[in-house]
Amino acid sequence: MPRTLTVTAGLALAGLFAWGQSTVSLYFTVEDGDKLIGGLQSENFRLYEDGQPVSFRLVEPESPALVTLLAEYSQSSLYYLSDIGTALDAFVDAAPEGHWYSLATFSQELQIHVDFTRQKGEIRAAFGALGQPFWGEVNTYDAVVDVLDKLEWLSGRKVLILIGSGLNTLSRHTLTEVQRKVEGADVVIFGIGAGSLLRGQYDAYLSDSARMELRQAEAFMNMLARKTGGQSFFPRFETAYRDVMRTVVLMLEQQYRIVYESRFGRDGKFHRIRLEAFQTTEGKRRNFSVRVREGWRRQ
Amino acid sequence: MRAELPAEIRQRFEETLQKSYQELFAEAARLEFSPSHIAAMRRLLEELQSSCTRQYRRRTEELERQLRSAQAELKRVSSRIDDAERKQRHCQIQNLRATSSQARVLAEHAIPVAFENKKAKLELVEKWPGELERIKAELAAGTHHGRRWGDVKDIGFRELVPGQENDVKDGQEAVRQMKLAGLMPPEIDNAAVRQYVVNLAQRIGKHSDLRVPLNVTVLNSKEINAFALPGGFLFIQRGLLEAVENESQLAGVIAHEIAHVTGRHGHKLMRKATISSIIYQAAQIAAIILTGGAASIGTYYALQYGFYGLGLVLSLDMLGVSREFELEADQLGVQYAWNAGYDPAGFIKFFDKMATTEGYVNGLSWFRTHPPFYQRMVETQREILFLPPKEGLIENSPEFDRMKTELKKVTEQAEKEERDRPSLLAPVQGCPAPEKIEYKPGQPIETLCPGP
Repeated sequence: MPRTLTVTAGLALAGLFAWGQSTVSLYFTVEDGDKLIGGLQSENFRLYEDGQPVSFRLVEPESPALVTLLAEYSQSSLYYLSDIGTALDAFVDAAPEGHWYSLATFSQELQIHVDFTRQKGEIRAAFGALGQPFWGEVNTYDAVVDVLDKLEWLSGRKVLILIGSGLNTLSRHTLTEVQRKVEGADVVIFGIGAGSLLRGQYDAYLSDSARMELRQAEAFMNMLARKTGGQSFFPRFETAYRDVMRTVVLMLEQQYRIVYESRFGRDGKFHRIRLEAFQTTEGKRRNFSVRVREGWRRQ
Repeated sequence: MRAELPAEIRQRFEETLQKSYQELFAEAARLEFSPSHIAAMRRLLEELQSSCTRQYRRRTEELERQLRSAQAELKRVSSRIDDAERKQRHCQIQNLRATSSQARVLAEHAIPVAFENKKAKLELVEKWPGELERIKAELAAGTHHGRRWGDVKDIGFRELVPGQENDVKDGQEAVRQMKLAGLMPPEIDNAAVRQYVVNLAQRIGKHSDLRVPLNVTVLNSKEINAFALPGGFLFIQRGLLEAVENESQLAGVIAHEIAHVTGRHGHKLMRKATISSIIYQAAQIAAIILTGGAASIGTYYALQYGFYGLGLVLSLDMLGVSREFELEADQLGVQYAWNAGYDPAGFIKFFDKMATTEGYVNGLSWFRTHPPFYQRMVETQREILFLPPKEGLIENSPEFDRMKTELKKVTEQAEKEERDRPSLLAPVQGCPAPEKIEYKPGQPIETLCPGP
């Protein structure tokens, strides 16, 4: 019996559509336990679209990547604002040179503070200089939709790192609208939870409804990651942000890219994707875990 | 009661103050303005500056008030408006941000710089003829040899300030921290351009009072600037290479920066502060400039007028910039350029070009200084006149022209990258264009604020 490896992760980076009429491009990572697997060839993958096998090409990831940091910044986030600052700092320290980086924050609405730059230090400096948050809302759904709207116009490998609680107050967009948006976006989303430490400390004092709301917030971040092939993290202590951000950066560096021609066009339907990764040694197949977007939809 | 300025005299003044500093140095003695007319013109300039700045400050405040009000109104009605109304409100906020940023840059930077320039030129018209007579008298009497650092024939053998080598560690640390902070633009990826700049800087370094190795870096940034960190770490930015018209102008700027190192100006000003605190402060300033308080739209306008960039971000203390040291660096800089065989007027000509035709002066760290323009121009010109005559001073070289040819490729590539740079700041689709305050750097300020 072939040895089964514990395969957890693999990051699916950008379920990326290279918008030809039916060309689909997928970013993903392959994992064996907690180890990222590199160096696989096209014969190590099988791809299925709506259950049907499809032929594909394994190509080089596009470079530089476009990485947008989207940080919650509201009066309501004041108690865990230091988490958000620490996460941003940790990312700037870990991020390699050469990619494009931008910073946006949100409360009532999306604000872009640093447009795409190669000088990642601008991100830290801009966040450090933000004044007191003006608004009390945490319109996470709107911010995600708005930033995806802006990224839609850009081509290349796109990554969104959402740093926040995942809570949502007065967004005009519904959860269903956000889901449809991320299914149609060629962006891989990472969720970095803020406020987990605080939540742990006060958990015993929370009402059932508050606890439910926080679970929903966490589920929202997980949904974004799962739908787009990213991953969510909920660090329980401040120093963990460094490890988390190093992991995110490593995942970006270890991405594979597959391109294929789909049978489907812009039919508005959701097309499910399954990607298998394996290695055959001396007749024995060893399976890996692949983190790839759930599927895609084009309007 | 103050004297009125007759219309034709005012007209003559206005034409005169449009001229370059070089032209005014040559013509000042022939210009016949009475002291009372000069005094009246000075008062008029003060009034114009004050009313023009006030006008744009008020406009900024009004636009910012409208912006706050539009945001507050959006907050109030946000949950019950439809998409069309929301878009219209977003457009309004976007345009108010753009216009208020532009008005603020004009009020706080462009207008004061333009008027400082005019006042400096007026002072030159007033005082230069007498100053020139005194210079001639000093030259005739030979007393100019006794001026501070007048021993120009001993450059390289005199000791300005002992202990340059002690600054190297501080300079290395400053460079390291700037890189860590992610504030350093990338280096130019063109060996020919780099080598040219290194050769030129080393040549000037060898003809200066430098006692430490010169470490030259050419940065790929459109900023028109150069700066030196303590211990001989010289940074030249691409924008400067594009802006200079000949080798003597570039030599003048490089020599000025080297003079900050030889005079240990950074060391003297940094005594009370640690490098990390200076870098931290720089990062904070950078953030304010880069965010512009308005989704980077402020940055856009600041960049248009040149009030932006690493030169503006770096601590003046770290760069050794202060009233006293800037004048000293001007003096030593023209000495070093001259000693290396370059026309020492190159520096002043470049200053002139930037101040008169570009209007960028405040954006450059080597012009971010307390001494008034007039004092710097006159002191530099005086030093040039005191330097011993020298045959065959270089104004330009074939190497400079070759560098310019190579630089074009670098610039084209950089401009292409800038054009292709992804942006999140694409305006909200379908909004009307924001109001534009038309003012080009270098154009007479009267076009912006017609006088009373």
